[in-house]
Amino acid sequence: MAFIETKNCTVRYSPGTPFEKEALSAVSVTVEEGEFVGVIGHTGSGKSSFVQLLNGLLKPDDGVVLIDGKNIWENPKDIRFVRFQVGMVFQYPEHQLFEETVYKDIAFGPTNMGLSAEEVNERVLHAAQLVGLPQELLEKTPFELSGGEKRRAAIAGVLAMEPRVLILDEPTAGLDPQGREMILEVIGAYHRKKKATVLLVSHSMEDVARVADRVLVLNHGEVAMFEPTNMIFSRVQELESIGLTVPAITKICKGLREKGIALPDNIYTVEQAHAVLLSLLKGGDVRAV
Amino acid sequence: MLSDITIGQFFPGNSVLHRLDPRVKLILVFTYIVAVFIPDNWLGLALSVALLLVLIGLSRIPPKVMIKGLKPVLPLLAFTSLINIFYVKGTILAEFWIFKISLEGIYTALFIAVRILCLIAAGSLLTYTTSPTALTDALERIMSPLKVLHVPVHEIAMMMTIALRFIPTLIEETDKIMSAQKARGADMESGNLLHRVKALIPVLVPLFVSSFRRAYDLATAMECRCYHGGEGRTRLKQFHMVLADYIAVAVMLLLVVLMIMTNLFSSAVL
Ligand SMILES: Nc1ncnc2c1ncn2[C@@H]1O[C@H](COP(=O)(O)OP(=O)(O)OP(=O)(O)O)[C@@H](O)[C@H]1O
Ligand SMILES: [Mg+2]
Repeated sequence: MAFIETKNCTVRYSPGTPFEKEALSAVSVTVEEGEFVGVIGHTGSGKSSFVQLLNGLLKPDDGVVLIDGKNIWENPKDIRFVRFQVGMVFQYPEHQLFEETVYKDIAFGPTNMGLSAEEVNERVLHAAQLVGLPQELLEKTPFELSGGEKRRAAIAGVLAMEPRVLILDEPTAGLDPQGREMILEVIGAYHRKKKATVLLVSHSMEDVARVADRVLVLNHGEVAMFEPTNMIFSRVQELESIGLTVPAITKICKGLREKGIALPDNIYTVEQAHAVLLSLLKGGDVRAV
Repeated sequence: MLSDITIGQFFPGNSVLHRLDPRVKLILVFTYIVAVFIPDNWLGLALSVALLLVLIGLSRIPPKVMIKGLKPVLPLLAFTSLINIFYVKGTILAEFWIFKISLEGIYTALFIAVRILCLIAAGSLLTYTTSPTALTDALERIMSPLKVLHVPVHEIAMMMTIALRFIPTLIEETDKIMSAQKARGADMESGNLLHRVKALIPVLVPLFVSSFRRAYDLATAMECRCYHGGEGRTRLKQFHMVLADYIAVAVMLLLVVLMIMTNLFSSAVL
């Protein structure tokens, strides 16, 4: 059964003014429990608006959002409880840190959930460990951390709520390759351990290709494609026509194919390419990979 | 949502009012605001309302937007009107306990209400049809004679420009931080006053931090581009008065003269 479902959701900003802007037009999407979905689209395509629908930060002007079969706006007073289930990490989440210590900041979410002090403590320590924040940093003020550490502290603040659905809006923006790797690993670990449903918004095709099971492509507020990762990146032309690229490795393989080397058209990670090329060099059968 | 606040907002457009020289607009709006207080009779008051309606029509600003912009002053309006109804002495119409309502009181209340509405509407019409940069630019030009008295006119104008420029950014930022904290279960919509004030901390702290960061960045960026105050700066856009501007001035002068005439020849009600 679909775990997350949007039915014909339309979102308009500043309705009734000259600035009216339809950010999403009748978007219908279903996501299964435990799936890892990548959300891509060029800037302004409505990615952030879409994910904000799912935890009730935006209310659809038309259409309904169902989580676990329940309309989240059925009882607007209970929207907070939806947010406990659907955790959201915003773009540049380090800008939301505010407490005196990192520990207290991570504890903000779980405390709001009304958990007991021991439970909060347990969750904070667990989340800090998950994102790889050393214990001694927890008593520092968040403003003394480095950029990457701040980012991890902010993500820990959401993970500590242990949401069943984790949404991340460009969590790796502005980080170096190592920092990106680290964040992606944290997300992957949470996904596997908690069997959580994850939606990852990203501009980086490489990131999405590596971690997502399915990819949702948005274009001008509409769903352009929503398919398994290996299918999406074989549609190079379609992606490029809406202003997106494919991972660099996919392009290289395409170039090689055009030069007459028999490679499959659904390679999108370096590991895959590595395996395929190796077996090709050893004279094996490429299509078996 | 916070971004629905419209007071002081600019609505881009290409109406006659949008194209008027901002210096002229600024001075005429001030003239109008003073002029609204001239008439002491119905005819004069009707004149000022009529001019305003014509201007709103010319500006192509949707009446809905105008009305929405006036809503926040309604409580103030109701309060002043009520005070006037009970305080002004004259022919008593009704009386109960210590309250006396006089005909003059009702008239005064009406006059004041209409005047305040006209004043606010004229002010919003100015900001609706003039971009903030044009407005501060105009202000700088109008105030430039004060330089002789060592008033830092350029710096004041620059501060206003920057402040105005960052209002939308701040609103956007506030919206974003509020969303982020709500996503962590912050409850900002319920509870008593103390609870609500406390709920603001998670929003205000990050907002201050980012404002300071932005201020430093802006200062650095301005310095990198060799900004050194108003001395010897030239402008990209020069203001030129055209026929429409002269007509606007003439119309306003005519209105003021007409208002004074109504005071002389029409029977006063105040
Ligand atoms: N608060 C807002 N007020 C008005 N318009 C908005 C607002 N937020 C977004 N929009 C508009 O809605 C559209 C979709 O925005 P959205 O933020 O969802 O895009 P996005 O895909 O997340 O873009 P990016 O990749 O740049 O983050 C854009 O055209 C944007 O200008
Ligand atoms: Mg976005």
